[in-house]
Amino acid sequence: MIEFTLNGQIVRTDDDPNTPLLWVVRDTFKLKGSKFGCGAGLCGACTMHVDGQAVRTCVLPVFRVEGKQITTIEGLGSPDSMHPLQAAWTEQSVPQCGYCQSGQIMSAAALLEDNPSPTEQEVDQAMAGNICRCGCYVRIKRAILSVAENAAVEDNGLAYNAAAVMPEVQS
Amino acid sequence: MSGVNVSRRNFLKASGVVGGGLVLGFSLTGCSSRPVPVEPVAGAFVPNAFIQITPDNRVRFYCPRDEMGQGVTTGLGTLIAEELDIDPQSLDVVFAGVHADYNNPDFGTQGTGGSSSLRVHYRQLRQVAANVRDIILEAAARDLGAAKGDLKTDSGSVIADGERHPYGKFAATAQTLTAPESAPLKSRGDFKYIGKDFVRLDALEKSTGTAVYGIDIDVPGMHHAAVRRSPVAGAKLVSVDKSAAAGIQGVTDIVEISSGVAVVAEKYWQAKQAVAALNPTWEIVELGSVNTDKIREDYLRAIDAEEGIVETEGEIAPAFSNAAKVLENEYWAPYLAHAPLEPMNAVLRIENGQADLWTGTQGPAAAEGLVSRFSGIAPENIRVHSTYLGGGFGRRGVLTHVIEITEIAVATGKPIKLLWSREDDIKHGVYRPASLMKIKAGVDEAGQVTAWQAKRVGGNIMPQTLKNMLPGLLPGVPASIINAAVGLSNRAFGSWTIDESSIEGLFEDYDFPNREVSHVTVEHQVPLCFWRSVGHSYTSFAKETMMDELAEQAGLGSVEFRLRNTKNKPRLNNVIKVAGEHMKQMRPAEGRYLGFAAHNCFQTDVAQVAEVSVERGQIRVHKVTCVVDCGVAVNPDIVKAQMEGAIMYGLTAALHGNLSHRDGTIQESNFHDYPILRMNESPDVEVVIIDSEEEPTGVGEPGLPPIAPAVANAVYAATGQRLRSLPLTLA
Ligand code: FES
Ligand code: FES
Repeated sequence: MIEFTLNGQIVRTDDDPNTPLLWVVRDTFKLKGSKFGCGAGLCGACTMHVDGQAVRTCVLPVFRVEGKQITTIEGLGSPDSMHPLQAAWTEQSVPQCGYCQSGQIMSAAALLEDNPSPTEQEVDQAMAGNICRCGCYVRIKRAILSVAENAAVEDNGLAYNAAAVMPEVQS
Repeated sequence: MSGVNVSRRNFLKASGVVGGGLVLGFSLTGCSSRPVPVEPVAGAFVPNAFIQITPDNRVRFYCPRDEMGQGVTTGLGTLIAEELDIDPQSLDVVFAGVHADYNNPDFGTQGTGGSSSLRVHYRQLRQVAANVRDIILEAAARDLGAAKGDLKTDSGSVIADGERHPYGKFAATAQTLTAPESAPLKSRGDFKYIGKDFVRLDALEKSTGTAVYGIDIDVPGMHHAAVRRSPVAGAKLVSVDKSAAAGIQGVTDIVEISSGVAVVAEKYWQAKQAVAALNPTWEIVELGSVNTDKIREDYLRAIDAEEGIVETEGEIAPAFSNAAKVLENEYWAPYLAHAPLEPMNAVLRIENGQADLWTGTQGPAAAEGLVSRFSGIAPENIRVHSTYLGGGFGRRGVLTHVIEITEIAVATGKPIKLLWSREDDIKHGVYRPASLMKIKAGVDEAGQVTAWQAKRVGGNIMPQTLKNMLPGLLPGVPASIINAAVGLSNRAFGSWTIDESSIEGLFEDYDFPNREVSHVTVEHQVPLCFWRSVGHSYTSFAKETMMDELAEQAGLGSVEFRLRNTKNKPRLNNVIKVAGEHMKQMRPAEGRYLGFAAHNCFQTDVAQVAEVSVERGQIRVHKVTCVVDCGVAVNPDIVKAQMEGAIMYGLTAALHGNLSHRDGTIQESNFHDYPILRMNESPDVEVVIIDSEEEPTGVGEPGLPPIAPAVANAVYAATGQRLRSLPLTLA
């Protein structure tokens, strides 16, 4: 039995400990916002926060997150209470097919937590692990920089809403 | 111009599948008396297959095309909103089930592709909505005892004597009336939403992880399947040792299916482990001895053969003798995979003689037909639930995964989710065909191209498309007849020189008074498919880099030279002119160089300027300016997004895209060896949309073809090297 915190709630699973966290979150805990794109840590579609760091969860065995804090796109914000990045993504019509965008937003949120006013090069660097096959890069970059700018102006930080958006948790 | 002209758009009609001919008299969508698959809310007004208005004034739009990122829900929703006079953001968009009313008028079936959606639905859906608005006004007049002429509408309400009455209020009366067939459409000056920018209707869902894709569907009792396929396309299973796989925890079934061996387990991870533990033996097929070098050699032999003339115009031989300068070059483009970020997947439940399929597809009608053919369930007992597509690019028009899941569900009796891995996607795909092209061109003293002789060698997409599509489009037709039809089409298209997809874009754009176009089909049994912009994806590269070389020979700038050769193509001429003006304003920094290219496809004209540097042998694209004329831009911001996206997709192909064969097996497998452009390599993009009164033309694909030649031309400016092979690699 492995126990960890998922979007603020303690959860337990008896899935095979080698199962990548992505599949445990998607199939056992039924949070479908995190996506599968490559299964090899190459595309970033599966990005979640593990103790605040952006991590590729398709290659992270679930036993490695014992006791850790996991945040998914659902925990970052919800349609009714969006993270500033999600609001910027929406206002600027960033997504095309949308499939990569949870991972993009999770990587961007971790970047801004770390570095609230990144340069363009720092954004490039931090986002280089996330593929967008639809090629939304111009807008992704613009949205991140616009949030960084607003945060600088308002100086209200980017603490995200970790209020869990959790369906019934199975153990 | 001689020769038969069969366009991809019209291929079903042309091949006689629709409207008699090759396969006579089969309806593509089954019985037309079948009810429209809408789920009416109690008391709702359901005037047609597309619109439903509830008493509490919710307007639902059954979107006939599928959303793969191109913004079709917003684009088509805008047409509905405009003529119905409601705020597009208030629309509740759902993906239509399968019904002939939702057919793509160009395809004769329910399919999304060919950059066609706005063009084919522009009048149709506006008319549908205008008719509904008219009937609401009629119902309001009756209910309110007012004269219809005194009533107006505004944002979902009827306005009578200054008072607002939501449309839904008149649903009951409207239900009893018959809609007119041709209520007047708004004139352009009255548009409130067409031509205006607003947030995509799907942006919120796609920014919060709440948009639902095929991979996200779960049904009770669902098991997970993975499939082991032959590394060489088309090789059948000889035998398989299942013992190791069967011992893996959670595995419930191992079944042989037409494409290989499927493992079914309680969890995806278990199925994935087990499928790797299978030990299959495959039959030996011809493709098994093919390497990329052999493919190139076979093409090289064919390109020099005197055969395959498709079209001639004017007198080519004297034109070459009289030309001031003559150039001749060969161009290579490799096989490519589409690699949509969401790998192929579906969920299928068969229960009590009823089948429910969930998948994101470019062809829901064909998906229904395949489930029917491989399960024996009649089409009217099958429901296809379209989801969002995590990318399409042509790949989701081929439905091998639907055949697989149907075979698995039938064999196991379980509800199934089938998911392909990324490796499955790259290694077992259907590919953009490799191509060898040769262009010989002559230019006169005045900078007019007087002779253009172009030839392409490679596989043809059309016969394979028919083979893939007919079984799904004609589920009631026995396999023997389908096979005979496919056999005929192989003879028709296989040796045929005029599969328009193969040569489109190689010769049409400029005013060449004397030209000759040839094609030689050389097949290696590699599965092929439409890939974003299809033939244009490689022909533009050959044509536009050749045009740059000719410009240099003629002593003219790349813009001026193209302007002189597009006198009869005013729209193309204009985008070249406008892009040229932007190019003049660009002041590339030290070490950066500009390259130009233009192309017409899907009736849309695009010109691009790429700003490029070359450092330590690395090509870096810093900025792209893109000028597009696509008729009326229904949502200009989405047109821009599609240009940005097509440029990135095209840059991936230009800088990285390459699949290679060894012993018939694709050598690449995932994003480490089939790299996709990343943010740190991606350019800034500026898009300029030409203001137009003409009806909309294609948007999803036309941004792609000019980028590879624009970059190659800039690389020449930077280094003096002419690159004639894709992906672009410096010597
Ligand atoms: S799915 Fe995890 S990095 Fe691609
Ligand atoms: S929006 Fe489609 S992959 Fe990024």
